[in-house]
Amino acid sequence: MKIAIITLLVLGFIHQDPGTDASSIIKKVDDNMISNTQISITKMIIHGRRNSRTVASKNYAEGTEKSYTEYLSPAREEGTKMLKLEDNLWIYSPSTDRTIQLSGHMLRQSVMGSDLSYEDMMEDRKLTEVYNAQKIGQETINGRKTWVLELHAKVDDASYESQKLWIDQERFVPLRQEMYAKSGKLLKRAEASDVKRVDGRWYPMKMNYKDVLKEGKGTDFVITDIQFDVKIPEYIFSKASLKR
Amino acid sequence: MKLAFQIAYKNLIGSGLRTWLNVIVLSFVFVVIIFFNGLIDGWNQQSLQESIKWEYANGYLLNNDYDPNDAFTIADGHGHLPDSDTKNLTPVLIRQATIYPQGRLKSVLLKGIPAGQETIALPTASLDSSHANIPVLIGKRMAETAKLKEGDQVLMRWRDKNGTFDAADVTVHRIFDTSVASMDNGQIWMPVERLWELTGLHGQATLYIADSDFQTENFDGWNFESQDELLQDFRDLIEMKKVSGNFMYIILLFIALIAIFDTQVLSIFRRQKEIGTYVAMGMTRMQVLRLFTVEGAMYSVFGVVLGMAYGIPLFIVLSRMGITLPEFYQDMGVNLPRTIYPVFGVELIVLTVLALIISATLVSLIPARKIARMDPVMALKGKIQ
Amino acid sequence: MIKFLFKGIIRDSSRSVLPIIIISLGVALTVLLSGYITGMMGDTIDQNARFETGHVKVMTKAYAENKDQVPIDLALLGVDSLVKSLQNEFPDMEWVKRIRFGGLIDVPDEQGETKGQGPASGLAIELLSTKNNEVERLNLKSSLVTGSLPTQRSEAIIGHEFAEKLRISIGDSVTYFGTSMNGSMTFANFVVTGTIRFGIASMDKGAIIVDVWDAQQMLDMEDGAGEILGFLNTGVYDDEKAEKVKNAFNSKHTGNKDEFAPVMLKLRNQNNLDGLLTYVDLASGLFVAIFVFAMSLVLWNTGLIAGLRRYNEFGIRLALGESKGGIYRTLVYEAILIGIIGSFVGTAIGLGLTYYLQVVGIDVSGYMDQANIMMPSTLRAKVTPSLFYIGFIPGLFAMVFGNMLAGIGIYRRETATLFKELEV
Repeated sequence: MKIAIITLLVLGFIHQDPGTDASSIIKKVDDNMISNTQISITKMIIHGRRNSRTVASKNYAEGTEKSYTEYLSPAREEGTKMLKLEDNLWIYSPSTDRTIQLSGHMLRQSVMGSDLSYEDMMEDRKLTEVYNAQKIGQETINGRKTWVLELHAKVDDASYESQKLWIDQERFVPLRQEMYAKSGKLLKRAEASDVKRVDGRWYPMKMNYKDVLKEGKGTDFVITDIQFDVKIPEYIFSKASLKR
Repeated sequence: MKLAFQIAYKNLIGSGLRTWLNVIVLSFVFVVIIFFNGLIDGWNQQSLQESIKWEYANGYLLNNDYDPNDAFTIADGHGHLPDSDTKNLTPVLIRQATIYPQGRLKSVLLKGIPAGQETIALPTASLDSSHANIPVLIGKRMAETAKLKEGDQVLMRWRDKNGTFDAADVTVHRIFDTSVASMDNGQIWMPVERLWELTGLHGQATLYIADSDFQTENFDGWNFESQDELLQDFRDLIEMKKVSGNFMYIILLFIALIAIFDTQVLSIFRRQKEIGTYVAMGMTRMQVLRLFTVEGAMYSVFGVVLGMAYGIPLFIVLSRMGITLPEFYQDMGVNLPRTIYPVFGVELIVLTVLALIISATLVSLIPARKIARMDPVMALKGKIQ
Repeated sequence: MIKFLFKGIIRDSSRSVLPIIIISLGVALTVLLSGYITGMMGDTIDQNARFETGHVKVMTKAYAENKDQVPIDLALLGVDSLVKSLQNEFPDMEWVKRIRFGGLIDVPDEQGETKGQGPASGLAIELLSTKNNEVERLNLKSSLVTGSLPTQRSEAIIGHEFAEKLRISIGDSVTYFGTSMNGSMTFANFVVTGTIRFGIASMDKGAIIVDVWDAQQMLDMEDGAGEILGFLNTGVYDDEKAEKVKNAFNSKHTGNKDEFAPVMLKLRNQNNLDGLLTYVDLASGLFVAIFVFAMSLVLWNTGLIAGLRRYNEFGIRLALGESKGGIYRTLVYEAILIGIIGSFVGTAIGLGLTYYLQVVGIDVSGYMDQANIMMPSTLRAKVTPSLFYIGFIPGLFAMVFGNMLAGIGIYRRETATLFKELEV
């Protein structure tokens, strides 16, 4: 009896607050994580079998469909640029002065030896566009209370049929993300930490991304500087800017 | 001429042991030549048969967007033929996948084929008896590189028709053993119905394998490659091997010729008095020369006859029973059947007989030419000239 | 005694020249055919050795475990000093660096943008170094379909079909795009100097062959190489020797638990070649045995007839008072001398021919209707250690045996009837 009352109360509470149902949670996540424009400087730390490497880059993004990356270090990578416009990806290398377009099979390759493929990087749809969400519980991660959401693809061509997200209840930042195969097998896991407030948004400054089928420690992303909603000149997102 | 044959025959029979020694040697060489060539022919034909049996059957109907040499075309190179057209066709759907044996990552080709097919020798029928969620067949080579045994499970990741990831354990139902490496290396076979379910590509095929009742028709969007076309490279290789076999054939023939040459030089040296006598009795030198040549050639005829006497039964037994080689592994696309059934074609035997007799005649002629220059008086005296 | 017999052999050319010629010929053929069969049977193994396995191969342990994935990230480092120490320790072998790599070949249009691209399987060899035989070993010159071999850095040859598919012509610049040893994106431009066809489907599909130095730069693996291949100077795989080299090398690294420590594998332990090697040894051994037997019969016969034809001579010698045993012994000694001379001459000729066939080969591509398969269109023999003695079996033993058998007749002769027999 007691349990029933508590359940009712909890259910009532959830129902009463329109801001905390699953779909509005992921909408808030999308709103928080995706800005009109974004300029960042990031470090990618790749843990190889032999050594770990750090690759630094400056990234420009407009919405989810346009992005431009220029690698800053190490010396071998310096000046390499990557441009993504919707489904197309171009890479420019200063050493050969060539722009190469990647497609098909190549997009499934890992980026810079990381646990991310080009395709992973090119996924540009908002969560709300791809998934239906359902709240399945609450958990605490690193002292932060989170909603646990289960996402199921509502479109045919999602890379991952389902995902599990742990969303910070106050800041609407996903602190953990698990990506599953159609069969329900866990494929990839991302963990976010060091959440900071930047330009009125909460944003994770550290991420670890891991292909769980593969051995290894995964790939770390560290944001050293990030700005939201700043004006980015249109030429940045053109092929001409690659050779600049 | 008839006389030459009669005398030659009498001379040979008359000299008994020495003739028979030569004839035995020649017969053996004759048998060895045929044996070697029959073995190589049998080997090649068998490799060809294995390729047909395991891989090509009566030909492939390939989707126009699929290029077997370009892995990029696998994703989109598939299509569907209405059931009415596929009576004598076995669909094969090819997909790319990744397996993770012991946490290592390995790219594979995932191939679906109906479990009930009998067009190629792949033991797919056994898949029906499996209770595993996803039963698969792999070849011996694949099992070795991925370190898998029958009954093992291995995690496989693939994408469905929309590119959505899927992953599940597949169970190695059976490991098959084929000499056709291209059906084995880096491949995983499963019932096509199951692959259709897993990928959502219902009824789709990358290629169809034609059985023997298949009639060539035009299928829009598909390109038929006949068995002959598919085997062309292989036939070229065999052609190549034939040329290299010919070289060996010639060397083997040389043994026989050495034997005849040796005997012939000795006879002419030893039988000067006889030669002198022939000439004294009125034979021309050319006739004597002919006699000696015929004698030399007759050795080879006797050799052939004797060789056939014991060779033919031997060949028949060998081609029925085959020559079984000890267990070994095969790789690098060479097809090495375990039991080789030599093929002794009539053509091979006739050609060998002709080659042996003709070359024996020529070789006999070379030392015999000396006769034409002999002074009969000196020859009669037995004086070495 | 031997000197006396030797003089006899030299002076009586009728007794020596013909048998020696026949034996030499027979022995030469035996040696040549044995070498040829071994070469023919072993061509697959030989091809493996040349292209992939070497006679021995050094890799890191981790690379060896995943070698079918071409894991350049697990490649050997510090290869220059490693090669040097290998050269010092095993001076009768040639050591070469090879790098296999995968990636993409991208062909630019006039604006430098992608016109076409295809997956490439790359092979880097010591192409520009003159100190090794890599170009001959991979048969590059005769496999060229168009163009020529690279003569300087940043030049490459690519598979002919691949070039046709991507419409690349000689002199065009193509860009390699792939992953460096550290996993970074990497790019390199190459000028295509030639197109090649090996006849190995996997190589022809998307091959690009570049110099090792270029590959090291492009793959960010300075002083690194995926594999170090060792070839015995004889050019022929010798399992015992390879085993010794392997053990000597590996014993120095047994304690090293580092997964990037070098480890040596011999040819037999790679590419499932163990069985094939056993098979080839067995089959060619069988072929050679049959052939040697046949040739032995012929030369035994020669010896036998040679003995028989000296019937008169022995009669006269008996009449002159030589003992039967004495005559028999001289007959056998003479046969041994002739056998040795013939076998030596024949072996020398046979080895020479075999060696010629090993190095130059017989190009049979002209005899083939279609040159779809290029690779083994040159027939090659193989000089193996056994060739040095195999000719002596028919040349010496069979021949002497024949003479011994013929000589038994001497003991049957009766002095009383000698003169009657010798009447002319």
